[in-house]
Amino acid sequence: MSDMTKVMAAASSGMQAQAARLRLSSENIANADTPGYRRKIVSFEETFDRASDVRAVATGPMQLDRSELSRVYDPNHPMAGDDGFYESSNVNLMLEIADAREANRSYEANLKMFDQARQMASSVLDLLRR
Amino acid sequence: MELNLNVLRMASQLAAHSSARQVVITENIAHADTPGYRARDIGDFASTLDASSQPFEARATRPGHMPFGTGAGGYEVREVAAFGAESPNGNSVSLEDQMMRSAQVRESHDLALGVYRKSMDILRMSLGQR
Repeated sequence: MSDMTKVMAAASSGMQAQAARLRLSSENIANADTPGYRRKIVSFEETFDRASDVRAVATGPMQLDRSELSRVYDPNHPMAGDDGFYESSNVNLMLEIADAREANRSYEANLKMFDQARQMASSVLDLLRR
Repeated sequence: MELNLNVLRMASQLAAHSSARQVVITENIAHADTPGYRARDIGDFASTLDASSQPFEARATRPGHMPFGTGAGGYEVREVAAFGAESPNGNSVSLEDQMMRSAQVRESHDLALGVYRKSMDILRMSLGQR
């Protein structure tokens, strides 16, 4: 596997991982008001493929945030208990936005590396064209 | 007649060095959010030309051993950390620092290809072809 293909493999694995993270983040935001919803999180892991010799990144198993669900006081809510509280989700919108921003930034960095590898490869190929 | 093609050889070595370095930098960027990942880089081109410093390589006595030290490309990969890049999750990748390094890679790759192209032009001119 040539160096430039390795760069593209590593960068695309990074983009896939960041996109998966962004997807979970938007699922969390969409379900911010769903009663009983637990925030989904994913961790990144290093994978090493000996055949291609690329240290790619992959997403680990999806996990649910075990922190306490927020209790909202609304006696008119159909799921409210005798005390007037019901359990909403444990999604923190601020946290999700920050996570999405970080994923976006890392995605762009990966994309930039991919583009640079493509340009470097094409400038090498330009030498052949002369 | 003696053709001194050392300049061409050195230019292609520099291009190979910068593409190997680009692979390492892209891996760092792909792992910008992987817990416990340490940023790595390979030494500058001048040190690879220095024959007096022997590159370090771990001895592999069985085919299943993971190679480390000098990789297949003959470059020594080391951990490097930018000041203040350490995250609480043990990750030491700074996107800004990696972007800076990849710009250096781009520059030296362009330099190598420029020297190569110019030397070829001179050879071609001396042969009387335009």
